[in-house]
Amino acid sequence: MPPADRTAPAVTAADGASSGALATAIPLRRQPMPTRSMTENPTGGAAAVRGPAARRDRRWWRAARTAGRHGVLVAVVLAMLFPTLWALNTSFKPTSDVYDSSPLPIPATLANYRAAIDAFPIWQLLLNSFVTAAGVTVLHLLAGVLAGWSFVRYAHRGQRVVSALVLVALVVPPQALIIPDFLLVARLGWRDTFVGLIVPQLSTCSLAVLLLRQHILTVPATLLGAATLDGATDGEILRHVVLPLLRPALGAVAIVVFITTWNEFLWPALVAPSPEHTTVQMGLQLFQNQEGPEYGPLLAGAMLATIPIALIYALASRRITDAFLHSGLR
Amino acid sequence: MTTSEAGAQPALPRGRADRPAPRGHALAGKRADEPPAPGPLAASTRRAGGWRGAATPWLFQAPVLVSLAVWVYGPLVFTGVLSLLDWDLISPHPEFVGLTNYRQLVEDPEFGNAVLRTGLYVLALLPFATVVPMALAIMLWKRPGRASGIYRSLLFVPVMLAPVANALSWRFVLDPLGGIVNEVFGGLGLPQRDWLGDPSFALPAITLITAAKFVAMHLLLYGAALAAVDRRSLDAARVDGATEWEITRHLVVPQLARTTALLAFLCAVFAGQWTFTNIVVLTDGGPDGTTDNVYFRLFQYAFTFFDAGTGAAAAMMIVAGLALAFAVVSLPRRRRATG
Repeated sequence: MPPADRTAPAVTAADGASSGALATAIPLRRQPMPTRSMTENPTGGAAAVRGPAARRDRRWWRAARTAGRHGVLVAVVLAMLFPTLWALNTSFKPTSDVYDSSPLPIPATLANYRAAIDAFPIWQLLLNSFVTAAGVTVLHLLAGVLAGWSFVRYAHRGQRVVSALVLVALVVPPQALIIPDFLLVARLGWRDTFVGLIVPQLSTCSLAVLLLRQHILTVPATLLGAATLDGATDGEILRHVVLPLLRPALGAVAIVVFITTWNEFLWPALVAPSPEHTTVQMGLQLFQNQEGPEYGPLLAGAMLATIPIALIYALASRRITDAFLHSGLR
Repeated sequence: MTTSEAGAQPALPRGRADRPAPRGHALAGKRADEPPAPGPLAASTRRAGGWRGAATPWLFQAPVLVSLAVWVYGPLVFTGVLSLLDWDLISPHPEFVGLTNYRQLVEDPEFGNAVLRTGLYVLALLPFATVVPMALAIMLWKRPGRASGIYRSLLFVPVMLAPVANALSWRFVLDPLGGIVNEVFGGLGLPQRDWLGDPSFALPAITLITAAKFVAMHLLLYGAALAAVDRRSLDAARVDGATEWEITRHLVVPQLARTTALLAFLCAVFAGQWTFTNIVVLTDGGPDGTTDNVYFRLFQYAFTFFDAGTGAAAAMMIVAGLALAFAVVSLPRRRRATG
């Protein structure tokens, strides 16, 4: 909240206490019109008549509300992230202290990570995940830009049908498709290959299409018109006008698709069930079956699967949330 | 311009007046049987002329259309065919059995149980898909600024967390012997339990584990909807002496009604899918099938028992159920719009 908002009602109140209702109206008029929301204390005029006691009361009330609000938000964040943070904490404890309930790993050790790497091809799994996620991301962006652009640029007979198909594909549950998709991949001989991991995941490209379409819609129409008048073809406009403007959105969508694919479990579990060829998510499940209740290395493995994503997200979180917030997807 | 083209000029699509007008009428509320009426900026199809001009949009959309045809809609049809067969995924001669698979499914108490449990998941997750994220989103929206941005980033993290790793973390935290939750409960004198192994606590546990993802995702979608709400109307209400609660209740929440209906539908869609991974990693549907859901059952039919027909029949029933849910959510809206 800008400081001006906070001080203005106080001035009103002081004037009001000394010289009555007419005086309150004048400083009110002198205030700049609030352009953003004045989040609190809207009833400055009414409270003014009651004097300094009411003002103290109000200030206390405001502080309590702010504290309560932060309290609720911090509690929700902690409740959501606690298991992951606790697993991170435990992964650095010596194997004998797995059930130790100290909130910090002292003394810290990498023994669990070493054990996980010795027991399971973690690096291979991470590499597989990376290649798969990168491949799917490239395909989604490509499909998304082209289709998003054509939705914005062209009108044609099938338009509504196509956009409905794209939308509906978003909510068709992948589990309902796995039997035929699996059969197709098996028939093509794509089991345990990157092609088999990557290409069928084009089934979820709808999100990229819709997000990119929304962002292409925000490119000023005059810009496209000017380019057309200058004789640019549609391909050139897409390349030289739209794509440069779209770069932030592309980055955000790329990150979202990458992370979603990295986290995908069902499909790798089906087409690449062996530890050498699968992604780290399925690898963790296999590792769990192999290790049983040996939590130290298991949690270390889980953290290794989480850390790359956490790093990407930490660097780009605002960009991701903004991409959704300003997408106009409603 | 012919009259038919002039008649085809679409009005702005309903409820999208805040967006820039779609160029070239993309997705505008136009009837499909009328010829396209390109505006001045969508001139290219007209300029190029002939079949090449008409083919251009299809070329751009080809990657998406082919992908969806091969990996979504084709398989959907194929699933429908499979559901009429008796097949073990291997034998070269699947047998046509008509609707037998469906009849068996309806009579199968395990599938009935899975349907019931899926419904329970949806109902239990519904508040976490609507009320909770809505309250949080309004809270963040009313006070824009640095702190809100940080909260928003943190609250979105559960969507980004790897589901298997997350489930493993939960399994560790809920471990019956020495898990931190039981430690804390013991310290407070509360009963310690085998949370994931107790028939009356396993489903609530899975629900809560999945709830974080719903709150995170839907918080962001509510945020997107709130970004379109005019803050000035709130200031006007404040000047008129409305309390914050009244403003939220009568001014903000009604504007989120459409979003809420959509998110309730998304909850019905994703409740089953998002609990699936947690079920696979944490409970395998147990104890006593209390955490089962239809997706897990489908997976069991198809890839554990190699009964493709029954699995496909289950898939078709899921899709039909979702279509029904969508009709329920969208019908009142459509009636109001047309009536």
